[in-house]
Amino acid sequence: MQPADLEAALRPSVGAHLLGTEPFEGTAGRVRFAREGALDVFRAVKDRLGFRHLSMVGGIDWVDHREVFYVVWSDDARQYALLSTDLPAADPHVETASSVWPSANWHERETWELVDIQFDHHPDLRHLLMPDGYAFHPLLRSFKIHEPEDLEVKSRHV
Amino acid sequence: MTSPVPVPRAAAAAGPLGAALPMAGEPAVPFLEIEAIRSKEFLPAAKEALSSLIAEGGQTKVIDPVFNWAGRNSLFPLHWGLACCAIEFAAAFGARWDAERFGVVPRSSPRQCDLMIVNGTVTWKVAHKLITLYEQMPEPKWVIAMGNCATGGGPFRTAYSVVPGVDKLVPVDVYIAGCPPRPEAMLDGILRLEDLIRERKE
Repeated sequence: MQPADLEAALRPSVGAHLLGTEPFEGTAGRVRFAREGALDVFRAVKDRLGFRHLSMVGGIDWVDHREVFYVVWSDDARQYALLSTDLPAADPHVETASSVWPSANWHERETWELVDIQFDHHPDLRHLLMPDGYAFHPLLRSFKIHEPEDLEVKSRHV
Repeated sequence: MTSPVPVPRAAAAAGPLGAALPMAGEPAVPFLEIEAIRSKEFLPAAKEALSSLIAEGGQTKVIDPVFNWAGRNSLFPLHWGLACCAIEFAAAFGARWDAERFGVVPRSSPRQCDLMIVNGTVTWKVAHKLITLYEQMPEPKWVIAMGNCATGGGPFRTAYSVVPGVDKLVPVDVYIAGCPPRPEAMLDGILRLEDLIRERKE
């Protein structure tokens, strides 16, 4: 499967939200989409293209904006594909993928707590790796690494 | 106290292998007789001696040294593992190092433990579970920080998710350096803890 195949399969159903496809090494290609059509893109990728397994969800803080990417796997094509969307740093939220791929649930919890991306309609958006009440999103570029002596700050939730 | 009457071994003396060997089917030790003497004479005598000792010396001379000796020779660590130090912890109880020589037996319930060996990286997520386990252990109790992570956070000292040393959460008696420490180092830490308990003043 090539990026052109992804584009051909997705363009008729989600054309307005499809921002383009490009080659990405080791995968069938990378699909860029606008966040307003996230749910349509997820459903089309799963049902039309056969990427039935969501391997991971991650987030990147590019300082001026943030990016969410989804790695999906097709058992029929035996290939990965990358879906990604850009979010404004001031209002980073996107529709959850957990209604399409249930495995997105914990990955989105992790993405939310590390790079502070809100997932709308997520069934259970709470801390996964850090304790409840942890006040920071530590993989943001603006996060200051606390010295070990700053225990008052770091242990506020214990 | 009368000594037990030896059982005649007439049949054994005639055996082909020598007079000292008992015949098959005949008990070598007169077990029932020893039990009878023990129950009739030894236990009352021991009780009397102990009670008189207690009356003379009281708590500090008798009870505490006995409990101190028993406690330091039967340290039961909590059987849990946080990170790779737990592999060395497990190896120390294997055939090669055999920590049970020193009466160290890992127990799976904190109610049965008097020693917590923190073997690995302590994250903030596990911090309050660690405190709960520590508080569930009965007194007197001791803590060993095993490895660099538990001692001071190790290479993750400035990380956002790691407690910089388990002594920020619970009082630590012995620190063991190493990444991870070898089982010999862990056994040395336990023996040093035994020295600490020996010198402990009530």
